[in-house]
Amino acid sequence: MNRSIYQINQSDLPVIGITMGDPAGIGPEVIVKALNDPLIRRAARYIIFGLDEQLGYAADAAEIGPFWGRLPHEKVSRDNPYRVVVADYDEFAVPALFGGASRIGGQLSIRFCQDAIDAAMGGMIDAVVTAPISKTSWRLAGAKWPGHTELFAERTRAKRKAMMFVSGPLKLALATVHEALFEIRHKFTIGRVFEPIDLLNEALKEYFGLERPRIGVAGLNPHAGEEGQFGDEEQRIIIPAITLASQQGIQCSGPYSADTLFLRAIKGQFDGVVAMYHDQGLIPVKLLDPLGAVNVTLGLPIIRTSPGHGTAFDIAGKNMADESSMKSAIKIAIHMVQCRRTAQKVGR
Amino acid sequence: MNDPFKPLIGITMGDPSGIGPEVIVKALSNRTVLDQCRPVVIGDPSVIDQAIRLAKVGLHVQQVHNLDQVGIDTGVIYVFQPEGCMSDSVVPGRVEARAGHAAFVAIKTATELACNRSIEAIVTAPIHKQALNAAGHAFAGHTEILASLTGTKDYSMLLVYGQLRVVHVTTHVPLSRVAGLISTDRIIRVIELGHKGCQELGIDHPRIGVAGLNPHAGDGGLFGDEELRQIAPAIQWARDRSLDVYGPIPADTLFARAASGQFDLCVAMYHDQGHIPLKMMGFRFSKEGHHVGGVNITLGLPIIRTSVDHGTAFDIAGKGLASPESMIQAIECAITMVRNRSRHDAGGS
Repeated sequence: MNRSIYQINQSDLPVIGITMGDPAGIGPEVIVKALNDPLIRRAARYIIFGLDEQLGYAADAAEIGPFWGRLPHEKVSRDNPYRVVVADYDEFAVPALFGGASRIGGQLSIRFCQDAIDAAMGGMIDAVVTAPISKTSWRLAGAKWPGHTELFAERTRAKRKAMMFVSGPLKLALATVHEALFEIRHKFTIGRVFEPIDLLNEALKEYFGLERPRIGVAGLNPHAGEEGQFGDEEQRIIIPAITLASQQGIQCSGPYSADTLFLRAIKGQFDGVVAMYHDQGLIPVKLLDPLGAVNVTLGLPIIRTSPGHGTAFDIAGKNMADESSMKSAIKIAIHMVQCRRTAQKVGR
Repeated sequence: MNDPFKPLIGITMGDPSGIGPEVIVKALSNRTVLDQCRPVVIGDPSVIDQAIRLAKVGLHVQQVHNLDQVGIDTGVIYVFQPEGCMSDSVVPGRVEARAGHAAFVAIKTATELACNRSIEAIVTAPIHKQALNAAGHAFAGHTEILASLTGTKDYSMLLVYGQLRVVHVTTHVPLSRVAGLISTDRIIRVIELGHKGCQELGIDHPRIGVAGLNPHAGDGGLFGDEELRQIAPAIQWARDRSLDVYGPIPADTLFARAASGQFDLCVAMYHDQGHIPLKMMGFRFSKEGHHVGGVNITLGLPIIRTSVDHGTAFDIAGKGLASPESMIQAIECAITMVRNRSRHDAGGS
């Protein structure tokens, strides 16, 4: 009796796919360290898309005994017998990879992502957590995508996308990301502001269990422009975007002065906030949790989270990396899977 | 009894319809403040009297007609009334031209007194921009008034919350204009002002972190080149003069590092870049049980001026709910700056 319940629970556990990222970065190390936590291991089953050997180096350096199984990547299935399994790409016979960006590092990390995306689209895994890649390695490998987000959007045929961050109590989406501050004025449109409001609203409902999320929208200018005294983007662009969202039934308001909006969200007045540009959102995110902030890609048909840091080539292989952000990324992915299941059960 | 060596600090009453008078009388019933200075409120005595009754502090107003009469009697708030500073029976929480004018006259008088060295520093309570403008004083705020009265062109806003100190290269301008305003010369000037400001706050060799303008500080020119063209040369200039300056540092990591004590001063390129982390720090501290009041300091003026970080808060004016924490901090900051400025001046001569 007890045993059968145990087995049902086992098969019910979310299956989280983790891509190793650039093998020469800190990806292997933070994956091994994060999954070495028994609480993390108990909460789900894991398929790591990566190199078994590289994980072994990281475990040795951290004095962690191997806790995972290995299968050739083409043999891995959802019902494989392991709690943690490496979908190994040993046909890429490469020597231990350390020391920075490389073509092979780019080729491998792209392949891990592509296979994990296909696995998620095909139902083999419930979510993808990506360890950091090197944009330089991807360029050396001839990739046409500047980063993860573009590859994920293209391969899942997502039409819209937005970058979201989860940091402590703060859930935040960005209207613009990697743009020079001076260029924002040319790129700033009602659509650019509406999209993250809409996608954040959908995500908070589907993946974070909120029925009618309250979304606060930041202004672009000091004091949100103070009625047009310091810039008119609030009137021309942000207010129309908020009106559009409200007309579609989204509970959102603003534009609010950015210096107090994030505080108000932390105090519980908003479930999510939309920041207008990278630093406006990332300053509070990193201040709240310098090590644990998590990046979530919105708008995809699959769940994708990732730690907030990069490959950190300078400390790779030295057992100096902090796994907090990878742990948070895994926990949030599991939480999102569970919320989605509940939402599907109640037919929301 | 009368200790002439305690600095004389002029406190402007602010807009009488706001919480200014209330936070002043609450701050002046604080023993540690009185031990360090001789405060004199510059404003309408009847307004201060009203605030005393509202705040239920056991003090009474003593009007002075010249500043030599300011003593150190406890139980007394010394008030100096400038000519034309009349605003009795104003209604709390309402914009009134009469109140705006009285607040303006107090600032003007305090500035004159500080310029002729009759007082050592001024601490300002909040004013209301609409009331000020309704009275025909077309200024955006304190900083503009003070700059105009003292003929100052190069000034900068330094905000202090606990251990986080941030000085701003630009403040109240549209974001789209910021990139055009951050010249190497302006950044150098702000670094210098911030360095001197830190010394006056008692940090002799401040470690200064300068923020980038763009995401990831431009990532080597990938998202904007202001870091390479404007910010880096200013930092190099300062380092060549042996200032301990680092950057440009991506803004999202700079403030997290400063919050953990790695920098004494941050240089922000624009208003929200500096204000977002400052306001968050205030909250972080208050979560741990102490409420941290922020202080706003105008650098570059010929006089010492500090201010509370909050506004007139018309919504809670007249209710006795306002916290004096920021006012206490602002007075203490002013005292520290007076001490260190005289120490540096003495050392320099």
